Amino acid sequence: MATLAAGSSSRATVPARTSTASPWYHVDLVLVAAALAIAAYGLVMVYSATRVRLGEEGLDPAYFLQRQALFVAIGLGVMVVTAVVDYRVFRDNAWVLYGGTVVVLGLVLVLGSFHKGQVASFDIGPFQLQPSEFGKVTMVVTLAAYVGSVRGEMGARQVVTVLALTGVPLGLIWLQPDLGTSMVFVAALLAVLVASGVKGRVILALLLAGVVASVLVVQLGVLKQYQVDRLTSFLDPQNDTQRSAYNLDQSKTAIGSGGLTGKGLFKGTQTNLSYVPEQHTDFIFTAVGEQLGLAGSALLLALFAVVVWRTWRSAALAKDTAGTLICVGVLAVITFQVFENVGMTMGIMPITGIPLPLMSYGGSATLATFAAIGLVLNVHMRRFS
Amino acid sequence: MPGNLHLRLAVVGVVAVSLFSALFARLWYLQVLDSGSFVQAATSNQVRLLYEEAPRGRILDRNGNVLVDNRRSQAITVNKAILERAPDRDEAKVKLAALLGIGLEELQRRIDDVRYSQYKPVPVLEDATPEQFTYVREHQPELPGIEATIVSERTYPNGTLAAHLLGYVGEINDTELAARKKDGYRLGDTIGKSGVEQVYESDLRGQPSVTKLQVNSAGEVLGAPLDVKPAVPGHDVQLTIDVGLQQLAEDSLAQGLAAAREQVDRNGDGRHYPAPAGSVVVLDPRDGSVLAMASYPTYNPGDFVNGIKPEVFAAMNRPESYFPLTNRTIQGQYAPGSTFKLVTATAATAKGLISPGATIRDTGSYTVPGCKGEQCSFRNAGGQSYGPVDLRRALTVSSDVYFYQLGARFWLGRGQYGNGIQDTARAYGLAARSGIPLPSEQKGFIPDPELKKKRHEENPKAFPYGGWFTGDNINMAVGQGDVLVTPLQLADAYAQFGNGGVRFAPRIAARVLDRDGKVLREEAPREAGSVDIAPATRDAILQGLEGAVSARDGTAAAAFAGYPERTLPVAGKTGTAQVTGKKDTAVFAAFAPADQPQYAVAVILEEAGFGGTAAAPVARRIFDQLAGQPPGPIRLGTGSD
Repeated sequence: MATLAAGSSSRATVPARTSTASPWYHVDLVLVAAALAIAAYGLVMVYSATRVRLGEEGLDPAYFLQRQALFVAIGLGVMVVTAVVDYRVFRDNAWVLYGGTVVVLGLVLVLGSFHKGQVASFDIGPFQLQPSEFGKVTMVVTLAAYVGSVRGEMGARQVVTVLALTGVPLGLIWLQPDLGTSMVFVAALLAVLVASGVKGRVILALLLAGVVASVLVVQLGVLKQYQVDRLTSFLDPQNDTQRSAYNLDQSKTAIGSGGLTGKGLFKGTQTNLSYVPEQHTDFIFTAVGEQLGLAGSALLLALFAVVVWRTWRSAALAKDTAGTLICVGVLAVITFQVFENVGMTMGIMPITGIPLPLMSYGGSATLATFAAIGLVLNVHMRRFS
Repeated sequence: MPGNLHLRLAVVGVVAVSLFSALFARLWYLQVLDSGSFVQAATSNQVRLLYEEAPRGRILDRNGNVLVDNRRSQAITVNKAILERAPDRDEAKVKLAALLGIGLEELQRRIDDVRYSQYKPVPVLEDATPEQFTYVREHQPELPGIEATIVSERTYPNGTLAAHLLGYVGEINDTELAARKKDGYRLGDTIGKSGVEQVYESDLRGQPSVTKLQVNSAGEVLGAPLDVKPAVPGHDVQLTIDVGLQQLAEDSLAQGLAAAREQVDRNGDGRHYPAPAGSVVVLDPRDGSVLAMASYPTYNPGDFVNGIKPEVFAAMNRPESYFPLTNRTIQGQYAPGSTFKLVTATAATAKGLISPGATIRDTGSYTVPGCKGEQCSFRNAGGQSYGPVDLRRALTVSSDVYFYQLGARFWLGRGQYGNGIQDTARAYGLAARSGIPLPSEQKGFIPDPELKKKRHEENPKAFPYGGWFTGDNINMAVGQGDVLVTPLQLADAYAQFGNGGVRFAPRIAARVLDRDGKVLREEAPREAGSVDIAPATRDAILQGLEGAVSARDGTAAAAFAGYPERTLPVAGKTGTAQVTGKKDTAVFAAFAPADQPQYAVAVILEEAGFGGTAAAPVARRIFDQLAGQPPGPIRLGTGSD
C-alpha cells in the first residue's frame, strides 16, 4: 500500500526545490544546522581530549580527529540516505530491519570481538562496527511501524507485542553486556508507549514491574559486580575505594573547576592530563565543562535542546502515526542519552557506557545518530506528501 | 490512534524539558555555586612536588676526624600507598621477593616495619647489588611503587663514641613540625633529636631538592619537570672534642665503674658497689672547650637511623638499663661532697672569715656550740683527727671538721656574711645552667634558708622541714645537704679556679664549615662569669689541691701513685657524697698543669664508694695519657674521701 507512495515520492526528488509540494522544500534546516553544529563541536573536543596523549605516545595528535571527521562525513551521507528514502519505505519494511537487527545482534555475540569486557562489535579492518548503536534506530522504526499499524486502542495484546518486540534485541544487547544501550531501548519503549496512547496506569504498572525486576537482577547477581558498583557509586560518592567513584570524582572536578568560562580550549588540566577516563568517548562532556565552562556547556545543552525541540515539532507535524512515533522514539533516544551521559559526568546519574550523541568519538554511534536525524528530517519534509 | 495525541506529545515534551532543566541546574551548581572547591581539587591533582632530603652535614672532631658521616646506599624501596593499591601487587611482590632472595612473608614484614615513616618509601633492601638495582629500574611497569634509589643515612664511624654529645636523628614529630614548618620541614623529614644533631640542626640540615612535576591520573610524570630546585647539602660542624681523648675518657669511665663493682663496701653492708653509671667531663680551662664528655651507660646512635626498633627503645627506657639516653654530664645532679670545699674555701677567705694560714684544730668531730644531742655532732668521714689544720692542709687531707667550722661560722655571723657560701657557689656557676649549647641541661641546686622554706611550703610531704639550722650550713660547707651539681658544672668550676677566676660557658662546637672546608662561622668562647680570688688564697687552695694528689697523705695520693707529677702536675680534690638510700657517690675534680691548666677533669661515679678510691683512678688514667704515659688498666687504690 505504502510502496506506491514511496515510489512517487522518490521520483519527486529529482526536480528538487522548485515545487512547494516537493519534500525538499520542507527540509528542517534548523535541525540540520543544530546537528552539524554539535558534530563540529564534537570534532573540536575530540581533538582537545586526545591530542596531548597521542603526542606523548609519539602518534599523530590529530589521529582521533581525522577518524571522527571521517565518521561525520560518512554520517552526513547516511543522514541524506535516511532522509531521502521515504520513511514509509522503512516503515513497510520494518520487519526486514528488525529481523536483520536481531540476527546481527545474535551474530555479534558469537563472532564479535572482545573489547573492555564486552562483546559488542565486529572488527572490520581498522574500524569496529557496533550493531547495538544501529539497533537503536531500527528498534524505533520497528516500534513506530507496528504501533502505526494497530487499528484502534492499544490493548493488552498490542502492549505485550511491543514489549516482546523490544525484549528480543534488548536481551541480546544485555548479553554483551551493554547496560547503557539496554537502558536507551527502555527509554525509547516508554516514550513510544506514552505517545501511542497506552493508558497511564498500564505504563505505571510496567514501570513498577521494571523496578522490581531491576532490584531482583541486582540481588540475584545477574549483573557483574563492577556493573553494580558503577550503577550505585553515584549514590555514595564518598566511597572512593571504588574505581568508579574515582572516575566520578575526577569527572565532577573537571566540570566544576571549569567555572563560568572554563580554563580555555586545550587548557584543561583534568581532561588533558587524562585524569578523566574515556574523555574522548563517554566522558567528553567533562572536556567541554572544564575547558569552556558554563558558557560552553550551556551552549552544547542548548544545541541538543534545539535538536530535541525540532524533533518534537516534527512528531507533532507528522502525517501519520508511524511518522510521529519515529520522531518520538528518536527524541527519546537522544534525550535519554544526553541526560544519562551528561548526568553521569556530573554525578546525578549512574555511570554506564553511553556515548554523547554526535560529540563522543565513535563511528557506529555517529552514523546511527545521523541516521536517526535523517529519519526525523524525512518525517518532517514529507508531512504534506 | 486516539485524538489526544497532542496531550501525549506534551507529556513527552515536558519530560524532555525537565531532564534538560535538571542537567542545567546541576551544571550551575557544579560550575558556579561549588566551583571553588573543584578548582582546588583540580590544581592539587596535576602538580606533584617531589622532595628529596639533602645529605646532612658531617660532624667532625677538633682535628677534622669524622664522627658522624653519611652513607649513600643503593636501596630498593617500596611506596606502600602505591604498591598496596596496585591491581597487580601480588605478582609484583612475588617478583620482588624473588629478586631479594627472601620469602613473601619476610618481604611483607619488611614492608610493614613500623620503624619507617608512613610518608616515605620503606627500604626493603639496602646496599642492593648493581644487578638488583638495575632490574628494578628496568622493570618499573611490573613493579608498581617499587623503586631503586640512592638513600643517604647517618653513619657513625666510631660506633657509640660520644653518643650523648652527638645525639641522634629521627623522623620529625608533630610538635617539631609545627615549630619548624616555616623552615620548610615536611612530614617524614629527618631531624636531629638530641645532642649536636639537635642543637646544630639548622646548620647540619641542607635544603631539600624540590622537583615540580606534572602528573596524570596514573601518577605518571608528563614530560620534563616544571621546575627543579637542586638540593643544598648541610654544613659540617667541627666540634671541640678530641676523638682520642673522648675514647680515653669513655674507656676510663667504663673501666673505673667495672673496677668499682669489684669493690666491697667495708664500712657499709659489705656488699659490692653497684656502680651502674657515671660521667667524665674534660674541659679546656682556657676557653671552656669541651674536650671530652662521657656518660655511662651509653647507647648506639646508629640504632636510631631509619627509626629505632620498638623493642630496642623499650629496653633503653627500662629502669634496670639505667637510662642510657640520659647525658649524665649535664642531666645528672649529684651532691658534690668534699669537692665543694673549693667553694667554701673561696667564700670563707673572701669574706675574711678565716685567713689561709689560720689553723683550726681537727679533733675528728665538731659539735655545734650550745647544741646538745646526736644531731649536733659532725664527724670526719674517716673518723680520723688531723690536729691543727690550715686551709692548704684541710684540702689535702679533706678535713671535714675545718669546713664544718667554716659552715657554722657563716651561719652564726650571717648578719655580716649573708649567704656567703651560696653567693660564691653561684659565682662558680653552680645552681645555673652552664650555657653549654645542649638541650635538657639541669641546673643543680644550692640551698639557702629562703629556698628551703619555699620548698617546704610548696611540697611539705617531700620536704618536711622548712627551718634552716646551723647543721644545714655545716652540711652545705662540705657539699652535702641539698647541694647538687652536674658533672659539667663541677668541671667548669674547677676550670674557673684553675684559670684564675674566669668561667667560660662550655662550648662544644668550634666552627661551622661548608663542604669544601671553608669556615662559615666561628663559635667564639664566651665568658659566663667570674670569681675574685686573692693571690694568697689562691696559692693556699692550689697547694692544698696539689697536695691531695701528690702529698703522702693526700686523699687521692694512692690513686696517683707513680704518676709523673713533674711532667703534668695535677691539682685535684676528691669527694665522697652520701646519698640517702644509696651507696656513696665517688667524685673527683682536678685540673692540670696546676699553675696554668689546659685540662680540667670531673669524674662522678654513682654508688661507687670513695672518691679517692673509685673516681680519682679514672681521672688519673686520663692524666697518664695527657702526660705522655700509656694509660694502664685501672686498679683501685685505698684512697679515701
